[in-house]
Amino acid sequence: MSLLKPFSKLPGLNTANILLVESEEQFQQSLADALVEETSVTVNVRLAKSLPLPMENDESRPRIDLVVFIINLTSELSFQSAEASLKYLDPGYFLGKVCFMVTNARNASSPAERLDAVRKLASSLHCPLLFAEDQTPDGVASATERLLTILKVAAGLVPIATALYVSNLTRCTLPLDIDQPSFD
Amino acid sequence: MFKFISGFSFSLCRYARDMERPQNSVARTPTDSIMAQRRSKNKSYRQSYRSCLGAASRLSHTPGWTARRLNTSRRTKSHNITEKVNPEDLALLVKTEWQLSYVTPLYQFRHTQLRSYSRQLSAFITAEKQQGLAVEVEGAQTSFRVSFSAVQGLGETDDDAETVLLQIHSKPVFAGKDEAQKLVWSGWLTCINGNPEYLHLLPKDFTCLPLFGSRGAENLTSLVKSWFQQTFDCCFGPLEINQTCLQWLAALWTNCHIESSIQHLKMIWTLPVEPPLQITYTVNSQDVWELWNSVRNPSLESREEEEAARSIDIEEVTRFMQGLKSHFYRHFRLDLSAGRLSQVSSALGSAKFSGRIKMSNSRYVLTTLTLLTECALLKMPI
Repeated sequence: MSLLKPFSKLPGLNTANILLVESEEQFQQSLADALVEETSVTVNVRLAKSLPLPMENDESRPRIDLVVFIINLTSELSFQSAEASLKYLDPGYFLGKVCFMVTNARNASSPAERLDAVRKLASSLHCPLLFAEDQTPDGVASATERLLTILKVAAGLVPIATALYVSNLTRCTLPLDIDQPSFD
Repeated sequence: MFKFISGFSFSLCRYARDMERPQNSVARTPTDSIMAQRRSKNKSYRQSYRSCLGAASRLSHTPGWTARRLNTSRRTKSHNITEKVNPEDLALLVKTEWQLSYVTPLYQFRHTQLRSYSRQLSAFITAEKQQGLAVEVEGAQTSFRVSFSAVQGLGETDDDAETVLLQIHSKPVFAGKDEAQKLVWSGWLTCINGNPEYLHLLPKDFTCLPLFGSRGAENLTSLVKSWFQQTFDCCFGPLEINQTCLQWLAALWTNCHIESSIQHLKMIWTLPVEPPLQITYTVNSQDVWELWNSVRNPSLESREEEEAARSIDIEEVTRFMQGLKSHFYRHFRLDLSAGRLSQVSSALGSAKFSGRIKMSNSRYVLTTLTLLTECALLKMPI
């Protein structure tokens, strides 16, 4: 099984590498276009539909600083594919180098149970959970900003802050009544 | 548009191997801890209970009086309500398709003043219709006759307010002088098995009738809604029947196959491809009944208890839908979880994602309305 390892390669100078994993392959395009606009740091964006990544690129692939799983809440397949991809990540990634991004949370056709399941997954892995709006350029811009903040820390470009430290503050926690049936 | 009709036959043993037998895990949470805090309106007490979780938790959860998700298990009794309810009223409810909305609680709604409400509403509608007309129209021609009536016996618990039925009769525009008025619009407001904690939390003057169904012209519906909003200070909003609710309806209708045959279970899925693909998946009633039986949890109660009175859990519903989807994938290599369920229909009724519901059998009206009341209470913004 080919695991993606976080520290097996050397980092680049003033460079941050981010991997966007999304089974629909839509939001990652607009997000990638916005991410490379960043000027203070060289951001390399890699796109994938699911893990494991192909073995042929293994030599030329740089060290991935942050892996973002984009889950569309209106589709069950998106969630299942993200869950299945988690197995191919080295456990070292879960110390602050993995992030979940969720779209369409307010859509009427996305059931509340799926959001609860994503919440439970993110909190069991101690990862942050971000909500994004992918249809408008404003939504893409604000999602990009938040990802860049986490990416700069994960790439080690922010002095004093490390990915593990920041993940302790930003990780997803479950509300108390998440398992309670509402009516009895 | 694709149309797949499959009249397949199931092998029970294959499915018994595929689904592992789970434990019966219907969790009953202790009713004293969290619910007692909700009843006490002391905000500082609630804050301190949650502060042990850490700083991030206070940002992620906003407390509300209404609940956050549907009930995970349901009782499946069929109710023969024809003796309790006036058969004419019942005949109005079943066999027609209703458009659903949710309603916030009504302020000072009295079931004793239904007659005066009828007069007020008919005057309101006539006034709205005559707005802008330069010529005085003769009163009898386009006047609307509204009747409010309370339907006795449709509720299950004492907490529920009585269901109210509204009908609007009017003469068609080009009718002759002596033609009788016909029913042009009908609607109902109901609350079946509403959450008792929520109902007790409401201040005394408020009546909670969260589910509103309407059938007829759209302009009359909006006039009725605006009259209600003006008179009772409530808000209306569209109610969609979401995925989980549609799956519950599919499972509940399949469960009733023994008592009254569903003839077939038809589901319409939409897949988000270009151009959008719509799949109609129709299953033979005998096959879907065998599938449903094979995914039920083993019965823990005694054999004498009636089969139909057991409760259904959400895991059984999920396994049932997973079985249907994996069968489809095995034949057509299309994973239906990439799409969404937009309509479920059977001989017992039909439900669409846009909020249209039709109940064809009077025995299951109460179960369906309980589910829809829960959906309405969930969607209400209070």
